[in-house]
Amino acid sequence: MSEEHMEQLRQALIKADRESGLAATEALLAEGADPVIILQDAMAVAMFTLGAMWSRGEVFLPEVVASATLFKMCNDLVEPALLAAGGEKQITGKVILATVKGDLHDLGKNMVGAMLKTAGFEVTDLGKDTPTQKILDAVRELEPDIVGMSALLTTTVPQQKVVIEALKKEGLFDKVKVMVGGAPVTQEWADEIGADGFAPDAPEAVSRAKALLGVAV
Amino acid sequence: MADREIRTVTHRTPPLDIMPDEAVAAIRDATTEVLERTGIEVRSRAILAQLGAAGAVIDEETGRARFPREVQAGALTTVPPDLPLASREPGLDIVLDGTRGYLGVDGNAAEVVDLDTDQRRASSKADVAAGTLIGDALPQIGYIWQPAVSREMPVPSEPLHNLEANLNNTGKHIVMMTAVTPEQAEASAEMAAVAVGGATALRERPILSAFQCSVSPLVYDGGPLAAAVEFAKAGVPSGFMVMPILGATAPITRAGTMVVNNAEVIGGVIAHQLLAPGARTFYASAVTTMDLWSGAANCGGPEDLVFQMANAQLARAYGLRSMVGTFATGSKTSDWQGGVENGLSGFASWISGVDMASGAGLLYAARVFSAAQLILDAELWDLVCSTSEGVRGWDAESLAVDVIDAVQPGGHFLDQDHTLTHMREVWQSKMFHRGNWEDWEANGRPVSKDRAVERAREILETHTPYPLPDGAADTIRAIVERFEDEHVEAA
Repeated sequence: MSEEHMEQLRQALIKADRESGLAATEALLAEGADPVIILQDAMAVAMFTLGAMWSRGEVFLPEVVASATLFKMCNDLVEPALLAAGGEKQITGKVILATVKGDLHDLGKNMVGAMLKTAGFEVTDLGKDTPTQKILDAVRELEPDIVGMSALLTTTVPQQKVVIEALKKEGLFDKVKVMVGGAPVTQEWADEIGADGFAPDAPEAVSRAKALLGVAV
Repeated sequence: MADREIRTVTHRTPPLDIMPDEAVAAIRDATTEVLERTGIEVRSRAILAQLGAAGAVIDEETGRARFPREVQAGALTTVPPDLPLASREPGLDIVLDGTRGYLGVDGNAAEVVDLDTDQRRASSKADVAAGTLIGDALPQIGYIWQPAVSREMPVPSEPLHNLEANLNNTGKHIVMMTAVTPEQAEASAEMAAVAVGGATALRERPILSAFQCSVSPLVYDGGPLAAAVEFAKAGVPSGFMVMPILGATAPITRAGTMVVNNAEVIGGVIAHQLLAPGARTFYASAVTTMDLWSGAANCGGPEDLVFQMANAQLARAYGLRSMVGTFATGSKTSDWQGGVENGLSGFASWISGVDMASGAGLLYAARVFSAAQLILDAELWDLVCSTSEGVRGWDAESLAVDVIDAVQPGGHFLDQDHTLTHMREVWQSKMFHRGNWEDWEANGRPVSKDRAVERAREILETHTPYPLPDGAADTIRAIVERFEDEHVEAA
């Protein structure tokens, strides 16, 4: 394993340089580098650094989203090697995200997903216009720590309540934390429908998610 | 009430074109290419089939409708040149002939600033009614959206409750924002018809218009397009209102965002014309930018100002009337940021020749309605209206040489008949504090917002809207109830 390639991967992730990042990952794997080390000492370090840069206003959200996209691509390369080696992924927490039934506006959810990935969460995105049943199935199958639901329209926000009621009915509500977001969503609404968390924007969503799981912010 | 009239900006002839002709041509060419090559996603198989029959190239798998350029050109020729938008109260029609611009009450805020507590809370039907009533009382308001949302009502009938609150509280022209299914459109048109004296009267004098929204980039849900067709059957014009966000749901460049913006409006208009040839329509946009750090929508800043002006110019290029997002500061209260953003925004919509500026009363990038902000925005519009009148005249009376000679060097004009005659032409602020420092201190250092809150309360206590015809309110109520019987599942 070469430190040169580790640093190349860190820098590539911070700058969202796809070509360089994928090349470095492939080179590290070819060199027989420990996938756990690649994930922890290169990829996680880079995303932590990027998150700190974002907090200081040194990078903007599109840069974070682009880096998160590259992170996923690199992770897809590393993961088979990790699993083959019998290793376990170190993650902050497991999150399922969905934009609720009837709503096609998923930009905010996508931003939240990118920011969560940057913070080390494993994110499964169920997409937009998501049927309640699909969310229930995913909760059963993936056993996430958090379910995050977005809705932009006043006409679709009530679906967040529908999903929470369904989770309760299926006995799943106590097994996950539920977070809600979207332009018309407020803390009052979150309280009213019994959600565990609410955030007014993507950055805040990461802090609240960490707080819900008792992870240091 | 007979002497009521709407305060409008006087447009320059010609208005200011923010883009050179070649930029307009380039954006139009790019739009044609996007609609032909990328197309728009339409989430309805039935509508895709109809668009296909009318000449669009349909990809059923992706739900994509692509419009060959000759189909685009053909569809745009069937748009009627006129756009009559009537008022129920006599004398308050929206007259769109390019000489003037109107301000509307903005809308669909999920939350409001409570007039008593000054705190943000979820909106209700009572807020729709109150915002409408204040808008009705203000001469600067030409037309009215649904300022807030009847959130306590069932989702399917919510738009109808909003419209009911409108109809009961204003005689001005109403623009329906959220009738997004054919059933909601049909019921809305029926309610408006009752208010104006029947379906034929509504067709002749549409006191209601509507708009439908895209989901940026380049998606139309099936319901809104079907609703626009339903409205056309009743003679209710339907514009296409788009809200792409620079950097997020549109390219990061100003020109690229305008291409997505334009492709969504023109794509909507083309689809509408293919489905309902000859339907009245208009060009509507509230495009904005993304805050690069947090990802939130900004609604305020130089890009927004450029987009407002570019939208007005593009609408003219297509021979369409424009409805352009104006005001709606990103500020959370009626403060310096709100004043700067909205002041420049009002000025930009005037100088670029926007036909309908939407609109007044919202804070937090159009998410929260504030009655005080509505009062302040109306005052701001009044200031722009007065500015737009220019020097007003240069005849002998205006040039005032005789009075100047009568006063002589070193005198004053205070007591001249000429002064008394024209004194009330000088713009008077109701919201600015123009008294002395001592009074201001003695009164507890009031800010404009405090005066606006007082004015809003006063209007709510005293203003009476133009009455509905006898029995109309009950009939409108019955339509809402019938709709709920048919479309709202029992809880």
